[in-house]
Amino acid sequence: MTGRERILALLAGRQPDRIPCMPITMTFAADILGVKYLQYVRDHRIMADAQAKTAEVFGLDYVSTISDPTREAADLGAPIQWYEDRPPAILENEALFADKAVLGEVQALQEITGGRMEDRVRGIELLRERVGSELFVEGWVEGPCAEAADLRGINRLMMDFSDDPDFVHDLFDFTLDVAIRFSIAQIQAGADIIGVGDAAASLVGPRIYKEFVWPWEKKLVDSIHANGGRVRLHICGNARRILDDIGALGCDMVDIDYPVSMELARSTTGPLQTLTGNLDPVRELRNGSPETIVRSLEALQQQAGAQWIVAAGCEVVRDTPHENMRAMVDFAQTHAANGVA
Amino acid sequence: MTKSAELYDAIVNGNAKKAHAATQAAIDAGVEPMTLISESMVPAMDEVGRLFEEQEYFVPELLLAGRAMKGSMELLRPLMTASGEKLSTRVVIGTVHGDLHDIGKNIVASMLEGSGFEVIDLGVDVSPASFVAAVEKQKPQVVCLSALLTVTMPAMKTTIDALTSAGLRPRVKVLIGGAPVTVQYAREIGADGYSENASGAVGLVRNLLAEA
Repeated sequence: MTGRERILALLAGRQPDRIPCMPITMTFAADILGVKYLQYVRDHRIMADAQAKTAEVFGLDYVSTISDPTREAADLGAPIQWYEDRPPAILENEALFADKAVLGEVQALQEITGGRMEDRVRGIELLRERVGSELFVEGWVEGPCAEAADLRGINRLMMDFSDDPDFVHDLFDFTLDVAIRFSIAQIQAGADIIGVGDAAASLVGPRIYKEFVWPWEKKLVDSIHANGGRVRLHICGNARRILDDIGALGCDMVDIDYPVSMELARSTTGPLQTLTGNLDPVRELRNGSPETIVRSLEALQQQAGAQWIVAAGCEVVRDTPHENMRAMVDFAQTHAANGVA
Repeated sequence: MTKSAELYDAIVNGNAKKAHAATQAAIDAGVEPMTLISESMVPAMDEVGRLFEEQEYFVPELLLAGRAMKGSMELLRPLMTASGEKLSTRVVIGTVHGDLHDIGKNIVASMLEGSGFEVIDLGVDVSPASFVAAVEKQKPQVVCLSALLTVTMPAMKTTIDALTSAGLRPRVKVLIGGAPVTVQYAREIGADGYSENASGAVGLVRNLLAEA
């Protein structure tokens, strides 16, 4: 099976030839190609080269256009902090909606052209052309809560839930619209799956998640499905208290980060939900050894069962030893996807 | 009346208006600021920390409680300055050079302030030189360094090294924290302690100062 066939089989509930492997690589991939991260995030051709090379060197089943959280915010006009060799960052003090009134003044996004979002769309087209017959091609959007945090400032948003819930609903309507448009553009460009990064959602707790976040994430998931796409939900951090709600979204794939027990994730979401993860990227994948990594993965396989994709809980950090990365991939390549270690 | 149940409840419930009103009422009733802090504010923030550890409270509740507590402190601080009273311990806190993340740092700062420490928050992307300058000027007992990225963690080491080069390292306890930080890393770079979370940070500061 090709990597693409392997992932598609698992998502369809058929047992693939072996376990798929889909670790998130960003700065790690840039380092494999030998480029500065500024080049990677500014030029989809460099990002595509880096992803294709990383997949080839390590034997991954997919390539991804995840890069940083600021593409949408940049195109909307938010000030961004750029770094030579690190992901660009939101400047919270100058957040686009630091003044709530600005939300009513900013035009809804009409086109995904001429900016950083288009750059990702071009990256998907390029990867589709180069490796799309063999490898799964992943697009990426900021989830409604994450984008709201990017545009409002996360500290402000966290208090807005209590101070001004109506504003939060309006803000999430806005960020949902951006995410839907961006997802559709990527699906049309050939993305096999859309990663939805909504890390801020793991900070709010179940009460706020149910009221303010879940309904908007659900609309995004449904929209991606209605447009022929698939969803990989990535809420990193400790999402333990919102696992049941996450399971009810109907995502094709749910990433589990290291603070959440894989056993709990499986028992809460049920046997049919495809889960990825969840090696601790720092303490296990970077600081561990091939032997400790294999032992962790054996335990994870028992806990996760058959509907499981090998990955770290979050991004593979840039100085992860290559032998550790190989140990993780080798495990996936030498084990049956049947939940039995 | 030295305890203010109203202030305790207002902080635990994250109600800044009620915290302000309860503090003013206590001041008007003649309660000493230090007493209000130790008997009402500190227990309230301890409870908030406990609820966070138990995963009953989350970041929004912590920030709201912190805001209520800060509102109370704004009324108390001028009175303490006027009477020459000081909080026992001064802490300088910041997110290290190159890192813009601050939610964790903000929560730790609130928890420490609410626990009766004087907190000077240097913000984010704080260079080693800025930490050194703050330690020279403010003479804290504790320095707290936060980082959320593995690529910015090395700035924790360069900050500690800068304090050492400036002859200031023996005067302060240095604590580090943040998602990628480990206790081994703390040992490796010569930090005095590491905390996995905000309430842990408060306990750690109290323990380190007790040992000193």
